[in-house]
Amino acid sequence: MARRRKTLTQKGRDDDVRIIAGFVLGSILTVIMLLVVIIAPPATIGPSEGELAPDFSADAYNGINWQNFKLSDTFDYEWEEGEEGEWILIQFIDTDCPYCWSEGETMSELYAQWSDSVEFITVTVELSINNHDSDRAEVEAFRDKTSYGTDENDGDGCNSGRDNCINRPGTEHNWNYIEGSSSIMKDWEVTGTPFLAILKPDGYVAWNQYENLGEEDIESAMERIVGGSQ
Amino acid sequence: MNDSLTDPVLIIFILGLAFSSYLMLSNNDKKTTMLLMSSLSFSVVGIMSSAYTYIIHNKMVVQGSTSFCSSEGIVQCGSVIGDPQWNNLFGIPWGIFGILSFSVLIFLSLCLYLDKHAKWSEDYLNYSWWAGIAGLPFVALLIIIELTQVEDAPHICPFCTIAHISLIGYVGSIYFLRIRRNMGKWSENEG
Repeated sequence: MARRRKTLTQKGRDDDVRIIAGFVLGSILTVIMLLVVIIAPPATIGPSEGELAPDFSADAYNGINWQNFKLSDTFDYEWEEGEEGEWILIQFIDTDCPYCWSEGETMSELYAQWSDSVEFITVTVELSINNHDSDRAEVEAFRDKTSYGTDENDGDGCNSGRDNCINRPGTEHNWNYIEGSSSIMKDWEVTGTPFLAILKPDGYVAWNQYENLGEEDIESAMERIVGGSQ
Repeated sequence: MNDSLTDPVLIIFILGLAFSSYLMLSNNDKKTTMLLMSSLSFSVVGIMSSAYTYIIHNKMVVQGSTSFCSSEGIVQCGSVIGDPQWNNLFGIPWGIFGILSFSVLIFLSLCLYLDKHAKWSEDYLNYSWWAGIAGLPFVALLIIIELTQVEDAPHICPFCTIAHISLIGYVGSIYFLRIRRNMGKWSENEG
């Protein structure tokens, strides 16, 4: 301790060099941030129209098995406005949500109309409500319209356990069903289901259901934005 | 040889690490100053490599790929910085965390370098030590993520590794400085 005190009794500089250090650091940070902005400006990421859709990587059920799926793998980064390309319709559902149950038919109709020019993606999530527990078997049954649960309103099956999944309105959904998570919901600012968004081929959000409530439904939006239904 | 390892920018960073290590390990009568320069040099390499990973991150997000780093092989950035599940902490890219963390380390080292005998120098040396130590668990976490969690793991992101080594080198420099202080050799003329 005595030796340490000896070193510290030496006199430092009269000026406070911490101010100089602060200025130097500020200069370094300014140069770095300028370089970043010039070379690779950060994109505005979010679910709002005009923003780049939040990316995610999760397991997806394609009708045969579960495989890893990364949303950005579906983006065509070379795409430009006016060009042809594959648009993306992303839907968030809870297999036990009654509105998602009935929207099954709407999705089947949309798929029949636009499957050639639109990639359909459904993200399944679990809302924090009683009887809204859905495992992979339930998700598979919801997508494929196969038997799962009963129609006895016993909590077993889809639609809050009120129905056997085989009776879901609409036809079989021949697209990827993603196993969602709370972090994906947070990134997409999903507060309830169902939620729909249309993405441009390059991944930017073209239409967000929350921003068009009462003004434009999904059918009209698809017609206006994607157009050229089959 | 893997393209990633012959990247000119990566070679510059490696030379920066080599120079910092030389400062840390060299023996001369200005050892304290050399160690302070070493800590400063390591933290500058760290902040630059963090910024570079942030640039790669932005390119990956907007363009899906980047010419700044390979996306194939074990040593690559694409599968690490391009993985949406692991390339951020609470939505903030790791590169930003690196820039902010090394900013703190640069500030502390620069203050010490500019005035070794200021009345706050002992405190700042302790702050440097604990700030560096605090970063090590994050380095361990990121290495585990690279090796086990990202898609098609294991992968090694070379520019991330530069930042990790920079932090370890910084902690090493501060460790030697603390030894010199505790041995009463803080002043250059004391050995």
